[in-house]
Amino acid sequence: MNYDFSEILETIRMTEIEHFDIRTVTLGISLRDCHDRSLEVTKQKIYDKILRYGKLHVKNAKEVEAQYGISIANKRVSVTPISIPFDSFKMDDFVEIAKTLDKAAEEIGIDYIAGFSALVQKGMTNGERELIKAIPYALSQTKRVCSSVNIGSTKAGINMDAVNMMADAIKLAAELTKEKDSIGCAKLVVFANAVEDNPFVAGAFHGISEPEVVLNVGISGPGVVLDAIKEAGNVDLQQLSEVIKKTIYKITRAGELIGRKVAEKNGVPFGIVDISLAPTPAEGDSIADILKAMGVEDVGAPGTTAALAMLNDSVKKAGLMASSSVGGMSGAFIPVSEDMGMIRAVQAGNLSLEKLEAMTAVCSVGLDMIAIPGDTPASTIAGIIADEAAIGIINDKTTAVRIIPAYGKKVGEMVDYGGLLGLAPVMEVRNLSSKGFVGRGGKIPAPMRSLTN
Amino acid sequence: MNFTENDIRRITFETINELGSNAAPDVVKEAVRKKVEASTTAPFDAVKKDSISGRVILTSFGLNKPGIVAAITTALGNANCDIQDLSQKILVDFFTMIMIVDITNSKKDLKEIQEEMYKTAASLNIKIYLQHEDVFRYMHRV
Repeated sequence: MNYDFSEILETIRMTEIEHFDIRTVTLGISLRDCHDRSLEVTKQKIYDKILRYGKLHVKNAKEVEAQYGISIANKRVSVTPISIPFDSFKMDDFVEIAKTLDKAAEEIGIDYIAGFSALVQKGMTNGERELIKAIPYALSQTKRVCSSVNIGSTKAGINMDAVNMMADAIKLAAELTKEKDSIGCAKLVVFANAVEDNPFVAGAFHGISEPEVVLNVGISGPGVVLDAIKEAGNVDLQQLSEVIKKTIYKITRAGELIGRKVAEKNGVPFGIVDISLAPTPAEGDSIADILKAMGVEDVGAPGTTAALAMLNDSVKKAGLMASSSVGGMSGAFIPVSEDMGMIRAVQAGNLSLEKLEAMTAVCSVGLDMIAIPGDTPASTIAGIIADEAAIGIINDKTTAVRIIPAYGKKVGEMVDYGGLLGLAPVMEVRNLSSKGFVGRGGKIPAPMRSLTN
Repeated sequence: MNFTENDIRRITFETINELGSNAAPDVVKEAVRKKVEASTTAPFDAVKKDSISGRVILTSFGLNKPGIVAAITTALGNANCDIQDLSQKILVDFFTMIMIVDITNSKKDLKEIQEEMYKTAASLNIKIYLQHEDVFRYMHRV
């Protein structure tokens, strides 16, 4: 036989017991040819284009799932940052465009469509300013639309005026969706150094240098890595790194295969495989549990950042060996609400916002799905965003803030969205003002790239 | 699927040039529709054929009892599937069997065969998984 018994059983165990699945296959569609002077014509063009490319996306993905016995958790679509082709429109028009995206997403049977976005790290056009103002209304009046705004980059620095606007947008989105635990904020990401080919919603968008249409895939396998680490037992850290790399290698290979097959069926080019370890609220599918299996008592203990750094680095090394098309975020995600281990660590008082911030300096993305008290001032949220963006631009990596000032809630209460978004305990934020700093506005200049101490 | 507005515009211009003075709107519309249909159906057929051919790996395990191998091989035989390799182990009360099955000549596609095997599995109270061979090749071979 071409394959060993043990190899075959290992694959079966990964897919059937350890929650190995493909987290998302995301179809990126360019909307750059959809602009028209008339809003109605523009909306029709957007709708038609998404349907033309996306009509069979869910069906094709399901066929590939059955063929390989690996489930694909999410089938999604990302589009060109809406502010770019539709720069001439006003705030109300952008809300209408969001509704069109929502309708198209519903029609093709997907749960989220991302790309209600703007890239304003250097400065803002009039259209981008209008789009940012429209974000809270767009998110509260649609179910499936996700939004992201890039406010900083290593080359441009941090646009503090945009940071302040985004803090206000987050507060307003929280208020407008207060009956649903401020869910609007769960669909809104503020980036620094955003990547153009990220398949993971809510932060996905179809970047400006991407082709007409492309299919990107995001893998997910914390459960598989967790079991491999447990099985390895008491080995030193180099050996542990080997164990992680071997596991990631296998799941990246499977991810690329699935991505290529879905792309082939859709008749579109394959883009990248994002090797991020993305947790889900399912038991055992947790980054926190991996860190604990590596040896820290709980997430938040001294040593957590080092363990996470090693995990993240091992994931990247193995992924790059396994595929020539690695892209997107490609690191470990540490969203609080989507990871049962993280939730427990917060509830036990072991994990603070500050420790989470430190952890984001060594892993993918940033302060993700974190609930904070609803009365947190916008200037404090702006301070949090600025801190996170600073980590990103200085370390030349992507960072993001997806924070939920849960309207009317206090520390210790919970927000509960169900499904993949999970539930989050409201965390304490330092009661010190950032107003004097963020209120200055303007820009934090781009950092230097030498003397990096 | 792969057609953009520009492609359709290009085809339309080509058709108008071919038809010359006969290019009435209705005639052009009909001719363009036929051309588009002809070129979209071809690749779809190719994709469909690809998805039903090739080798799959069948893994089954559960509590040992008489008639398991017979039931599985009968179902595969009826679907005209070729068993190319078979490896089986019994550990105390448990049995595990792995088969490499070529479904290229089967009248049924992978999905139908899977459904059939899942029925067989349910009636025997065992687990059967059918996965395309590629996933094992990708994961375990550099």
